[in-house]
Amino acid sequence: MTYHWDFGFLLQLGPLLLQGLMNTAKLWAVALVCGLAIGLVVGVFRTSPSRTLRVIGTFYVETIRNTPGLVQLIWIFYALPILTGLQSSPWIAAVVSLSIYAGAYSAEIYRAGIASVELGQWEAARALGFGYINQMRYVVLPQALTRMVPAFGNRAIELAKATTLASTIAFGELLYTAKIIAEDQYRPLETYTALTLLFTAVLLPLSYATIQLERRLGKKGTLHRE
Amino acid sequence: MAYDWNFSIVLHYLPKILEGGVKTLALAGSSIAIAAPVGVLLGIVRHQRVPFLRVLAVIYIDFFRTSVALVLICWCYYALPVLIGVNLSTFTAVTIAISLQSSAYMAELTRAGLQSISVGQWEAGRALGMPGRTRLRYIILPQAVRRMIPVFFLLIIEIAKTTTLAGVVTYPEIVYEAYRVATEIYRPIETFTIVGAVCFIFLFTASRIALYLERRFAVVER
Repeated sequence: MTYHWDFGFLLQLGPLLLQGLMNTAKLWAVALVCGLAIGLVVGVFRTSPSRTLRVIGTFYVETIRNTPGLVQLIWIFYALPILTGLQSSPWIAAVVSLSIYAGAYSAEIYRAGIASVELGQWEAARALGFGYINQMRYVVLPQALTRMVPAFGNRAIELAKATTLASTIAFGELLYTAKIIAEDQYRPLETYTALTLLFTAVLLPLSYATIQLERRLGKKGTLHRE
Repeated sequence: MAYDWNFSIVLHYLPKILEGGVKTLALAGSSIAIAAPVGVLLGIVRHQRVPFLRVLAVIYIDFFRTSVALVLICWCYYALPVLIGVNLSTFTAVTIAISLQSSAYMAELTRAGLQSISVGQWEAGRALGMPGRTRLRYIILPQAVRRMIPVFFLLIIEIAKTTTLAGVVTYPEIVYEAYRVATEIYRPIETFTIVGAVCFIFLFTASRIALYLERRFAVVER
């Protein structure tokens, strides 16, 4: 028996899918921006001369990197109202959880990027009378950032994949929407196939762009690997 | 309002959670057992530019490395049975899903390992009169494998993390069992704190081993 494929119903449900897509995009963008900001602070902590700051940074990074993202998400979903007194919604829990998750991974990129800048650069800045913060701000970070871009590209791709975790706490992103449609229409094959193709269609070009960038930077000799 | 933490009741259920953990590991084990050989083969095909097969390998690798594990799991459990007309157990479905993605990662890892071996090694093999396959088998692969081992261990850790997603299609792994315990005793935070701790102990140990392997197998370039 050959299966009779029919993708037509998905077009009729366009608005619903579009809403799921928007929610995924929103979650991705907000978590990426927050994650990069958290990562910058923690990455600087991890390379700072202060032992206390280094310990805090290491504790955060190791905790997040050594637990599954799903467990973090569920934990935050239940713990947020108790710890902060705020009413927890799937959206808030997903944003907070994925930002913390992305923050830990990007902190490692910042750390490696900062470490890749030669000691002489720090010393030269100090000789010019820059304090620690200004050495970092004006001399080290600007050089480190370009080397980090490809690694950030890879993290962005991984984060896009991680947004699907939010479906488990009933946040209406793409996978959650697809689940509802698949059950409602009795057409799981078409729905999930379309979803798989959609993710690859978006992430593959992004991945190629990252690889291309990595090559270009590699040729210039400023490549920094994650 | 202060929350009244109560871990002791969760500890009663710890055996149940650990049982889920063992099921998680079983899933990771079977996925690795499939993904590792398939991935190595695909990586070799891609690196060696085997005509025609190489194109297929590139499509397979690029597709699965940019697809989402959770979506693949749903696809294999809900959609694949419709396509092939056979009902799959949750274990089988998730194993297929994770193997598909991990084999793509494994292929990239293999390719990177092969690429890191200098051309001179191939030429030296040829100078000794070895045919291509013998050179690959006796000169290139042994050196590449040595460089791949630490990264392979990191991949295993990633796979172990990914298997916690299997609860979504009701496979009774650690997160799924934890959910059941949490709803039974109304203690979700304590339960998932314990689950987080169990995962952390396991994954942290594994990542230290990976770090050790990285130092142990470090290759000094001359």
